[in-house]
Amino acid sequence: MIELQNIDHSYGNKSVLENFSLKIGSNGLTCLLGSSGCGKTTVLRLIAGLEIPKSGKVIIENKIVSENGKIIVPPHKRNTGFIFQDLALWPHFTVYRNIAFGLIEQKEKDVKQSVYKMLEFFGLQSLAGKYPHQLSGGQKQLVAISRSLVLNPTVLLMDEPLANIDVKLKRKILDHIIELKRNFNITIVYVTHDHREAFAIADNIVIMNEGKIEDAGTVEQIKRSGNQYVKYFLEY
Amino acid sequence: MGRKLIKHPVSTGIYLLFILLIVVPVVYTVGSAFISDGSLGKNIRLLDKETFLLLGKSILIALIIALLSTLSGTVLGFSLYKTRVKFQGFFKVALLIPLFVSPYIPAVAWKDLFFTVFHTTNFISSNTGVIFVLTTVFTPLSMLITGSAFAAIDTRLEESGLMITKFGNVIVKIVLPLIKPAVLSSFILVFIFSISEFSVPAFFGVRVFTTEIFTQFSAFYNHSLAILQSALLILVCVILLLSEKKYIADAPFLSVSSKGTSSKRYGKPVINKLSFLFLSVWLFISVILPLIVLLMQSFKDGTASIVKAFELLLPTFGSSAGLAFAGAVLIVIVGFAAAYNSTIKNKKETIKSFDPLLLIVFAIPSTILGISLIKFYNHPGVDFIYSSFAIILIGYVGKFSFISAKLVENAIKQIPFSLFEAAQIEGISSSVGLRKILFPLIAPALFAAFIIAFIFSMSELGTTIMVYPPGSDILPIKVYTIMANAPQSLTSSMTLIVFLLTLLFISGFYFIAKPVVKNYGYAND
Repeated sequence: MIELQNIDHSYGNKSVLENFSLKIGSNGLTCLLGSSGCGKTTVLRLIAGLEIPKSGKVIIENKIVSENGKIIVPPHKRNTGFIFQDLALWPHFTVYRNIAFGLIEQKEKDVKQSVYKMLEFFGLQSLAGKYPHQLSGGQKQLVAISRSLVLNPTVLLMDEPLANIDVKLKRKILDHIIELKRNFNITIVYVTHDHREAFAIADNIVIMNEGKIEDAGTVEQIKRSGNQYVKYFLEY
Repeated sequence: MGRKLIKHPVSTGIYLLFILLIVVPVVYTVGSAFISDGSLGKNIRLLDKETFLLLGKSILIALIIALLSTLSGTVLGFSLYKTRVKFQGFFKVALLIPLFVSPYIPAVAWKDLFFTVFHTTNFISSNTGVIFVLTTVFTPLSMLITGSAFAAIDTRLEESGLMITKFGNVIVKIVLPLIKPAVLSSFILVFIFSISEFSVPAFFGVRVFTTEIFTQFSAFYNHSLAILQSALLILVCVILLLSEKKYIADAPFLSVSSKGTSSKRYGKPVINKLSFLFLSVWLFISVILPLIVLLMQSFKDGTASIVKAFELLLPTFGSSAGLAFAGAVLIVIVGFAAAYNSTIKNKKETIKSFDPLLLIVFAIPSTILGISLIKFYNHPGVDFIYSSFAIILIGYVGKFSFISAKLVENAIKQIPFSLFEAAQIEGISSSVGLRKILFPLIAPALFAAFIIAFIFSMSELGTTIMVYPPGSDILPIKVYTIMANAPQSLTSSMTLIVFLLTLLFISGFYFIAKPVVKNYGYAND
């Protein structure tokens, strides 16, 4: 369970979230849906610990991880994975080293086993020695997901991971994410501005607008929402 | 960017050392001009009408050099970055050579040429000669600045203009206004470098403000007047620098990026031909002709002069290269600390001034920096610095750390911050992140900063001539002091050796740099 309680957050003088609260249940895929600048990525970064709330609490698995401007559990101890919008693959590392880098303190044999298990799951074995610039857009996505999953996170945070890829490839990656949901016991929080993407994979959807939640529920509930903004947003 | 990878105290410590070793001496020296040796009024009276006339003359010469260099540099920049001229890669490298050799080298070559052809050097040993030689020296700097601005223009801005108006209008109404900050910065930087230049006017026997300061300090031991004049010159340079501080402080032209430019290039045959002609003529005037003249002069009496010059300079090679190497390492360390500091988010207020301080010290004329270091370190307790090579290294660090800081800073800025955040989430420690992510990604910039610092240090004259410890063998000093009384052919031979040595280092580093860029260049990602 992830919980954000009465969060206030701003960048400089620009307030992004005001008295924002949200609960996300375990082991499902929750989509944060909204237009650009509505604060959905900030919510994701607050959960990850990359941002510290000016006030309010972030709670993961009943443990307060940050509170009122203080970080209590640092990002790498929150057991979360993060897929960045630009994927953030280290360009000077091969696919293998990109995935293995977070396992730096484990024995080489265990690292190899974990990395190849991931590569196998996503069908990337043949790419182990390649560098990011030698991969296609879809392959890069899968490497980024593998890099996060290899650390066995309980929460996977995905920040518009399909923003820059074509429709055909999008479908393929979405299938992978659905498969991931089935095979890994993991909570996924997925940020997107595309409601079709959200409808295709989400168990729950939270629609945000200007730092506030307009509506939340299952896909069916959202489709039937009476909220004017939600209706307007889903039309386009 | 890069925040949380190392703790602040590292860069704070380097910053404090920079202040203590370099900024304090300058402030002390300038301050002493107003308070020591009597009252401020007494000192101010030393600045007579003649001083201000000389300052006016120096400003006028520097203005003309800045104007001519910026004009020709802009045309060269356009030819290299906006046309499809042949041999662009070759021209880009070859035209930069004058920037990397000491300015007195082309001065010697031109004096030789005038003596050989006209049997007199009256024309070149004049204000016009100083303007001409320094224009050829500083035009590559302007080419670098305006060229990078031309390359950074978004293709779409020009193409949308071409849809509605003719080529000439697009250049005048769209392209030139877009590169205006670069043109202004080029003008100001060339002005500052020109008014600070010492070796060319001194070699041609032209009296300007820097040579006057040198004479007052070294020949007449009139330290009060020299320092007061220095303060005036610092004031002129800093005021000008601050007028265009935003663009110069960011220095986007000091960047090592192998990313391809998306800027529009014009392929009209007439433009390409004119560009090729201009580039070729400029290369001939600024590089090929001086080299030919030096070669001819050096070998006109057989190999005797060149052999003698080699024997004279040989003892300086090791110490000069060693000093330049040590200087370059220190410059890269200071540059990295400043760059890292300026790209850290939530940095401490106290060290925010690191970057501006580097810029201001960079703008201080070399001779004045030298005088400041001498005045400060010639005191009991710190005189071990004064009497050793350390004072030269401090001079190098003061002069060139700004360039190094900007090269590294621009490289760090190009790294997406998410790469560091991804490491943070994976629990990678600060030191591992620094070693495995940051350093490999900025390796080409660190290497470029090292090469530039090494070559500039190797040929530095203005500060070194003021501070070098007696009896030390340093290449530019030896050449400069011997050539005052040496026969023409020996002067040419020594200058030729320094020129070729610089070219050798540039070529050597180029071949070392190739694998570095290949291994650490991630431009295609």
